[in-house]
Amino acid sequence: MNWTGLLVELTLMPLVAFVVGLGLVLMMRRIAARIQRRVGPPLLQPLYDVVKLYSKETQISHGLMHDIGIVMAVGGYIAAETMLPVPGMNGIADKAGLLTLAYVTMIPSLGLALGVGQCANPNGSIGIARALTAMLAYDIPLVLVIFGVAWHFGSNNLVDIAAAQQQAGIAGWGAVQMPLLALAGLFALHAMLGKQPFEIYVAPAEIATGPMVEMGGKYLGGLFVMQCFQLYTAGVLYVTMFLGGGENWASFLLKVFAVVAIPVSLAYVFPRYRTEDLLRLVWKWPVLLGLAGIWLAMR
Amino acid sequence: MSELENIPVVAQGGAAPAKAGEEKSGGLFSRVFDELTAFCRSRSMFMLHYCTGCGAIELPPAMTSRFDMERLGIQPMVTPRQADILLITGYVSIKTLKRVILTYEQMGSPKYVIGICSCTVNGGMYWQSYATAKKLNEYMPVDLYIAGCMPRPEAVITGMRELMENIRGGKADNWRDYYRRYDWYLGNQQKLFGERWQTPTDVIGEARHYGLLGDQTLGEHTALLERHRVPLPPMEMRLGLKQEGQG
Repeated sequence: MNWTGLLVELTLMPLVAFVVGLGLVLMMRRIAARIQRRVGPPLLQPLYDVVKLYSKETQISHGLMHDIGIVMAVGGYIAAETMLPVPGMNGIADKAGLLTLAYVTMIPSLGLALGVGQCANPNGSIGIARALTAMLAYDIPLVLVIFGVAWHFGSNNLVDIAAAQQQAGIAGWGAVQMPLLALAGLFALHAMLGKQPFEIYVAPAEIATGPMVEMGGKYLGGLFVMQCFQLYTAGVLYVTMFLGGGENWASFLLKVFAVVAIPVSLAYVFPRYRTEDLLRLVWKWPVLLGLAGIWLAMR
Repeated sequence: MSELENIPVVAQGGAAPAKAGEEKSGGLFSRVFDELTAFCRSRSMFMLHYCTGCGAIELPPAMTSRFDMERLGIQPMVTPRQADILLITGYVSIKTLKRVILTYEQMGSPKYVIGICSCTVNGGMYWQSYATAKKLNEYMPVDLYIAGCMPRPEAVITGMRELMENIRGGKADNWRDYYRRYDWYLGNQQKLFGERWQTPTDVIGEARHYGLLGDQTLGEHTALLERHRVPLPPMEMRLGLKQEGQG
């Protein structure tokens, strides 16, 4: 691989992820609006929000860690995007496996924890404690799912996994071969996105959006960008593991939007669990499904 | 508190909304950029509703399925840091007004204040009350009043659209007035709350840092503030519940 090509890919992949992520955020807000019988935001609303937040004229910083925390939160996801293969671009995906990706996707939560810690807002501290607890909850089924998928395809390299599924056709897709793991994965994905039944750490009416409570201006803008990346990462990871990855951009984007639409549509008809209920639920059902799926895959 | 010195000041020369007749500075690129930011600001407004009175009841229908503010890019936010608009829906008692001012000072600029209902305009039916602040714009710069008792959601949305037009045209820059004439606002606040009144936000420091210092920022009232200012003690951080008598 030549260096210029790699450099172009490393620049383009996060940019593509951001644009697709804006679309995913728009879809999320439109779905919420439709469920609540509203019209919903216009096409470019997510972009307006980000531009507006970055163009605020006074910025309230609470210190160095506050600034660095946001950089870590966005940077962790930018690193993750370069490890997710998309049609025509692999970036460093064939050098970094699923395990690296699982590690890198934890960086944003930790960065946010550091940044919020310096704000010294009690709501923020409660929020970040809940976010890390939620991470503890969904990471166990997620790791089980990643292990099962890696075992089934005999590789933890996302490029190989996508290629193997594309060769075998729809019958070879992870979701067809390992339906239980696919279900557990969807469950973990929903918890990872932190959408409504699992929305313990945002909880606007209870702890005033938790980690975001002291974030304004460019800090909140950074978190809006992070949300775009988060939706994209979750969707692409699932599509690559279970739905054959991307043969071309049209089918790839269709799959990503469809996958993200499932948790988002479920989210807006549910209220919220409490933290201990979330842990009990996520450590029970997706973990059981995942273990059964691994047993089937290893048989 | 916030460490103002650490925040880089972004030179936004032309971003200062041009008043009618005022020459716009900068080249073509910065003009396009300013137009873009003004447009995005007008199309994306996060509002913090400080629901003090009966006007609050007209906001849920304005936000939900019947009138749906989100199609104009207006959505509710829950903390002052995230918000652009402070909606004050109803009478402000003197005790409430202190909280409103604290909230207003914590918002990031550009920020806009909308007073809804007659009570924020002139006290409304509480005109004779000893415990109610009458005119909101004596204590903080108000961008828009939506009069009525109470205004219907249509009126609220019409008001919002007018604010959007003002932001788009660069006319909604009353938030600068709070920095430029801080002495006057502080004087009115002191008249109501007593001379020991202080807020945790260092408004003068912010004005100095962002170059918003006017000739009326400092005056006799800010001198009084300096004299009575006590540094806020840092909050004690501890884990666990420690109740008296139980140790």
